[in-house]
Amino acid sequence: MPHKCTKCGREFRDGSVEILRGCPSCGGKKFLYVSDRVKNEDVLEGKSIEKIAEETKQEVLEVKHQGPATRPTDILERVESVRIVSKGKYELNLERLAESPDIIIGMGDDGKYMLDLPSMSKRKANPKKK
Amino acid sequence: MVAFPRIRNFFGKLFGKKRSRVGIYGPPNAGKTTLANRIVRDVTGEAVGPVSEIPHETRRARRKEGVEINSGSTKLLIDIVDTPGVTTKIDYHEFMEYGMEQDEAIARAREATEGVAEAMHWLREDIDGVIYVLDSTQDPFMHVNIMMVGIIEARKLPVIIVANKIDLPDAAPQRIKSAFPQHPVVEISGLEGHNMDELYAKISEVFR
Ligand SMILES: Nc1nc2c(ncn2[C@@H]2O[C@H](COP(=O)(O)OP(=O)(O)O)[C@@H](O)[C@H]2O)c(=O)[nH]1
Ligand SMILES: [Mg+2]
Repeated sequence: MPHKCTKCGREFRDGSVEILRGCPSCGGKKFLYVSDRVKNEDVLEGKSIEKIAEETKQEVLEVKHQGPATRPTDILERVESVRIVSKGKYELNLERLAESPDIIIGMGDDGKYMLDLPSMSKRKANPKKK
Repeated sequence: MVAFPRIRNFFGKLFGKKRSRVGIYGPPNAGKTTLANRIVRDVTGEAVGPVSEIPHETRRARRKEGVEINSGSTKLLIDIVDTPGVTTKIDYHEFMEYGMEQDEAIARAREATEGVAEAMHWLREDIDGVIYVLDSTQDPFMHVNIMMVGIIEARKLPVIIVANKIDLPDAAPQRIKSAFPQHPVVEISGLEGHNMDELYAKISEVFR
């Protein structure tokens, strides 16, 4: 089933993952999965997407950008793989961790970096016996 | 009596087969350990690790090697790797809500961070396929899920998405199917053992 942005009505093909970051046209965060039968009723019959949702009893999906992604510095653009925000508080850059065998630790908000936590390097990160 | 495919412990090396290492990933509390235990218990009568409502109970990945999955005429030998829940933020306050002392909570936060880092590193070369477990009562569109599925796709790892906890009244596995239509989704209850045979069939098919 295609889905539509409830804000601007843009239609996305099946399995489109781009909507997961919000509608590329209007930035809308809510989407409705509409069957082919009713998908053009917004244009043809002047119904709101919400109305179609109600009639078809489909749930409106809300894409949430939570946590670091909505911050001014996107965590994905940072160089460190783990940031120690303060004692006992961490932010993890999952993409960076999956990419590189090194762990780059960022400390606080002052842009200091350090390579590897001592306790992390002690342990082998590789479960395979060579 | 039980409709599960036959599973038993078995030493793959004797048969010279390459074993696929299957990582069970997903957010905290999705039911990864419960699922790993269910699969392994049927093989050896043992468990992989403790299940808990406290997030990050599994702070070190645990493995069970040589699990034979039989489904129909296919046999597949896999290693099951249960991982800590993946998150982008870990805060010791979370643990204090479960009655832990501050020092213990801080130590636990650090361990959890290291555990996630380790599990992410394994995706680079040590894991051959992923079972991504989601709680069907939760919103599948969480940032971490989208990111993880993206990382798994970028690594070109075969993946099965498990819509877990379908025994709960507010489970909405359809949302998970809608969120990830590009991947196979199997609806199960790891706790009750619902629909495990379908999962075993998918495992045999996807991780072969
Ligand atoms: N109702 C229900 N609860 C489950 C199911 N699977 C796990 N749980 C519960 O969810 C909580 C977290 O389970 P656990 O396996 O430790 O999750 P993990 O953090 O992903 O390893 C525990 O309280 C489990 O009993 C399920 O299929 N149905
Ligand atoms: Mg666990």
